[in-house]
Amino acid sequence: MRLISRKTLIAFFLPGALFMGIFLIYPIFKMVFDSLFKFDISGTKEFVGLGNYIKAFTDTSFLQPLRNTLVYIVIAVVFELIFGTILALIFETNFKGNKVIRSLMLTPLMIAPLVAGLIWKLMLSAQFGIINQLLVNIGILENTNSILWLADEKWALLSCCFADIWLTTPFMMLMILAGLQGLDGSMLEAAKVDGASFLQQIFSVKMPNIKPVLLTALSIRIIDAARTFDIVWAMTQGGPNSSSELISVVIYKTLTRYNKVGYASAIAIIFIIALVAFTLVFMQSLWNPKKKNT
Amino acid sequence: MKKREGIRTKGIAIISVVCTLFWLFPYLYLISSSFKPGSEVVSIPAKFFPQVLSVENFSALFERLPVLTYIGNSFLTAVCSTVIAVILGSLAAYAIQRSGAKLAVFLVVLVLCLKMIPTSSIAVPIYELITDMGLYDTKIALIVVYAAINMPYVMWTMLSFYEGIPNTLDEAAYVDGASSLKTFTSVILPICMPGIATTSIFTLFLAWNDFLISLLLTSTNAKTFTVGLSEFLSAYSMDLGPMCAGALIFSLPVMILSVIAQRYIVQGMTAGAVKG
Repeated sequence: MRLISRKTLIAFFLPGALFMGIFLIYPIFKMVFDSLFKFDISGTKEFVGLGNYIKAFTDTSFLQPLRNTLVYIVIAVVFELIFGTILALIFETNFKGNKVIRSLMLTPLMIAPLVAGLIWKLMLSAQFGIINQLLVNIGILENTNSILWLADEKWALLSCCFADIWLTTPFMMLMILAGLQGLDGSMLEAAKVDGASFLQQIFSVKMPNIKPVLLTALSIRIIDAARTFDIVWAMTQGGPNSSSELISVVIYKTLTRYNKVGYASAIAIIFIIALVAFTLVFMQSLWNPKKKNT
Repeated sequence: MKKREGIRTKGIAIISVVCTLFWLFPYLYLISSSFKPGSEVVSIPAKFFPQVLSVENFSALFERLPVLTYIGNSFLTAVCSTVIAVILGSLAAYAIQRSGAKLAVFLVVLVLCLKMIPTSSIAVPIYELITDMGLYDTKIALIVVYAAINMPYVMWTMLSFYEGIPNTLDEAAYVDGASSLKTFTSVILPICMPGIATTSIFTLFLAWNDFLISLLLTSTNAKTFTVGLSEFLSAYSMDLGPMCAGALIFSLPVMILSVIAQRYIVQGMTAGAVKG
């Protein structure tokens, strides 16, 4: 039985659809179109078909940022998962003031990524950065110039990861905590009665049962980590020597600094396709098993 | 047994406080740096606590940037775009959810995909679009673009809220003679208020914290505070003090609001993930 008339449905739907159509869908089509051309500095176009795409998959100008992005995702997500789980297990216990401290713990999430990048840039600076100073005081480093976090190719990408991990671990913690709190207590009781050790309780009872939540959180984080721009721009701008350049950064630079609209559009389209494909595959595997169970 | 658990609980409480302090260290460092005299911010060797408390970073900040203008822009664009995104998004999501059409499934997947689009990819086509419309460096441009970018998120969240409301409620209102709009505003919306609150807060934060879009679309009139802050990046180390002060001023309202609106934030992040 149709409750709402088709006219009303369309009336509700159209304004929002219009907004998104103009500013989200149209740009994608434009980019697909642009990606088939080669632009030079004066702006003249030359049709190259799939040439930009072939170049992307064979040239370090894309392959390096691709590699950097994958490394970034792996490091950030793995550590966020580990720290998030530990923190969630800690906050699972009900002690006085739990909620207050937990809400404090969640605050980094709301800070602008740009600001997070700025803070960490300040802290990781070699000369006057407090992190190196602390490391020297503890005795791990010889002097504050031993590790140039942001100026050394080896460390630049990792430094950006620090800021990301700091910013979003609270999110992982929150998701895992929510999953743990949704668990059936009787399972854990049964395990305790059976004599399960502390670690066994965690890994054999709790973890397997929050898999859906974990996977959802993971997929969200992987996509967000891939899209990072602000943090890297604030800390290293992709340098030194493109060692910390992520895909977002290279798209931006290729467009605004080199004006290679066609090439950048191709990279952007590849990026979008990769993210969307990942999402669809993930969602598919998440929802189908659920439907089978119910 | 109870005593041991009491100690264990206390122990965990202490650990959690230590962890939180440790985690908040960067932010505490920001606060402390903001109140140092300019030269102390970049002192060698670096120290945590200020030797002398000073507010010269704040006054220097106000000298360097039109702080109130930029913050005003950030605030105005965030609020207006949130209003638009939430209203249009929740209406559109309602239409999709209640239509029951096969097209609806496709649209839901489409909304999900739109949510995944990286801003950096579409930023430049949007820039060209806005410039062609003659809206470069206007607050309208930011409002409209922010609304469009955040709408998929609003729709996605509201979709799952609507799913939880049985159609019988709509039917009852309809039978009583309510129009579709009235049904929506008087029956459905009040129930979805938590969802509206959550998406509003998140959309607000996303627009407030935005950097890339504002970087591309504004230059002097509509510049937001994030872009203003980023200008300190290329400055000399002397300017790091005002930068800290600025970062503090910018993130403080957000931190405070997030503590107050804790419930909605937790709800927003876990919604859709923990489904019974």
